[in-house]
Amino acid sequence: MKKFSLFIIILLSLNINSSQADEIELQNKITKNLRCLICQGQSVFDSDSDFANSLKIVVRNKIDEGFTENEINDFLIQKYGEWILYDPKFNKNTYLLWLLPLLIFLLGGAIIFKKLIKINK
Amino acid sequence: MIYSTLGYYSLIFGLVISLPLFFFSTKNFKNQYPLDFKIIIFSFIQLILVIISFLGLILSFVYSDFSNETVFNNSHTTKPLFYKITGTWGNHEGSLLLWLLVLTLFIFIFLIKSEGLLKKYRILTLLFQQIIIIGFFVFLIKSSNPFNYLIPAPKEGLGLNPILQDPALAIHPPILYLGYVGSSIIFSSVLAATTLNYISNTWATHIKKWVLLSWVFLTLGILLGSIWAYYELGWGGFWFWDPVENVSLMPWLALTTLLHCILVLEKRYQLKSWVIILSISTFALSMCGTFLVRSGILNSIHTFANDPERGLYILTFLFILILISLLIFFIFHKEDKHKFNSFFLFSKETAIVINNWFMMYFLAVVLIGTVYPIFLEVISSENISVGPPFYNKLIIPFLIPFLIFMAIGPQLRWIKTRLEKKLNLILLFVISLLVSFFIIRNLDINFLINTVLIGSALYLFFITIRDFILKKNINISQNIAHFGFSLFILSILFNNFFSSEVITNLKVGEKFNNDRYEIFFKDLKKFEKKNYVSFVGKFSIKENNKESNMEPELRIYNQPNIITSEADIKTSFLSDKFITINTVNNKEYFNVRYQVKPFMIWIWLSVLLISLGGVISLFKKYYEK
Repeated sequence: MKKFSLFIIILLSLNINSSQADEIELQNKITKNLRCLICQGQSVFDSDSDFANSLKIVVRNKIDEGFTENEINDFLIQKYGEWILYDPKFNKNTYLLWLLPLLIFLLGGAIIFKKLIKINK
Repeated sequence: MIYSTLGYYSLIFGLVISLPLFFFSTKNFKNQYPLDFKIIIFSFIQLILVIISFLGLILSFVYSDFSNETVFNNSHTTKPLFYKITGTWGNHEGSLLLWLLVLTLFIFIFLIKSEGLLKKYRILTLLFQQIIIIGFFVFLIKSSNPFNYLIPAPKEGLGLNPILQDPALAIHPPILYLGYVGSSIIFSSVLAATTLNYISNTWATHIKKWVLLSWVFLTLGILLGSIWAYYELGWGGFWFWDPVENVSLMPWLALTTLLHCILVLEKRYQLKSWVIILSISTFALSMCGTFLVRSGILNSIHTFANDPERGLYILTFLFILILISLLIFFIFHKEDKHKFNSFFLFSKETAIVINNWFMMYFLAVVLIGTVYPIFLEVISSENISVGPPFYNKLIIPFLIPFLIFMAIGPQLRWIKTRLEKKLNLILLFVISLLVSFFIIRNLDINFLINTVLIGSALYLFFITIRDFILKKNINISQNIAHFGFSLFILSILFNNFFSSEVITNLKVGEKFNNDRYEIFFKDLKKFEKKNYVSFVGKFSIKENNKESNMEPELRIYNQPNIITSEADIKTSFLSDKFITINTVNNKEYFNVRYQVKPFMIWIWLSVLLISLGGVISLFKKYYEK
């Protein structure tokens, strides 16, 4: 019985360890995508400023509370504005940002295709 | 004082020289005589005057003449001599003077080197270049005079931002500017050639040298900036998709596109209009680079140089230049009526057009990603950030077909290729995918896209190696550059997949352990240097029973008072070890960041290989089939 409970304890602690590693990974993933607002061109993950450090703690706490990545991002957007996210969301402000390059690609392809067809006729 | 005065007046006289240049050029343009030697002489005098002006500024820096405002703002007596000199172009005024210097230097070289070409073309190119040169003269003298007086002269200067006091960054601007300004020659030349209806195979062969030259310098300039960012900014990345990096990448993309399609013009006399448009946009993008960096519109690590008023001048100037070029394009440019349209589906031409198509897409992504936030802010006053995830999402999927076309394109012939013999190309692709599959199998990453991505990069890698063996020296420059590119993509991908890092807080005497590394903070030493105090941390790092000593450094500069963190990097062929320390609020502790970054050096080497391809092509007499 003693052995068994020891085994359980080890198992549990292993579990906690691995979930901790997951949490750190998630925290890194999120903070790499956040702009350090007081730095210049640095992510929260890369920065060592007070702001970045406190934001790392905020993200950490939110993860502990069981928030998902999206929920944490939304929370931060509410607080600091979209400026903080390096990965701009797809919404009415950014339709053009995301779609324009793709449209240009399609347009270019169409022009080339049309010319090739015309010449090969 | 004397040097500033000298510099200022040579600048004025340099501008005045444009008058006789215009006079003799227009006279010579109309008459029957060959190129007037006076034109070359006056170009030379103008060049010498700008050199004197530039030397005047350098000497003001060397002698720390603080009656000169530029020196006062950017230098300090305790700065080492080397950085006093390089401080000359580490600021707005000096860097523009450098622009002007290269502008006059290049047009002089152009005049000497273009002997044998149409006289009218040479003169007209000079005139267009003079318009740009005058623009820069006026800009310098009026709104960014490097020789402004300060009375009374201050005793001490404000100093140069310490992160700029670095050998790589000292030569980064001159090299980059050689690339930027090289595109001005292409611009002037293309306008001249369009006006005279001179765009031809001969012209293409001649201007290709200038395209290559600018391209090589631009590539090396970007590389230097990237290496600098890697070891100086202290977080171990080398490209941040920062707006200021993007503005140097955009002319590079345009120039690379031009480099490819000018071959079609040279060999097949096609894509004329496209070459003209690309030449104009390359220069416009180079100017935009200067404008965006210098105006302070961008929020980035480079905002040490900003002043909106100057930006407005550059923008107006650029607008006028673009207007002129558009007018010339629409008035003078005629499509050839009797052109032989022989664009077959499987030909080198088509492959190059496809290359152009993708390059333009990449350019569009970078351009829109960089400018869109600015426009959005102006229109709706909403701030968004466009960072690495945006570029990764839009660029990486398109890299796959791009790499495959890049491998197949050079296998095709001009005009028409038969496909029957090309079965082994498909076989090689299957092999590449298999190899990639075995590499990716054990990794915890998105399986499908990465297998195909690495597979395509490997495909290009294998095909270029095969060509080195089979074709020996035929088209060696292109093959080296393409091989370099495959190596570049592979190194970046592997660098991404296999990097590992440890971030922890330690004080002297403490150890950090995990299953891979043991980091021991042995000691901290203090040194007094000429213009900074240095704290060097002594670390010993154990990995797989191998121990290595590393010494990251913290510098506290006196003027301006800034703390910088100097990484210690141990480079080997397979990976870089990278360690930095930073202060933490709790004084005894330091924030220690240790990273192992595989294939780092291969990223730099591959870019060198890419530019080597350009250099070889530049010195090669004939372009083989």
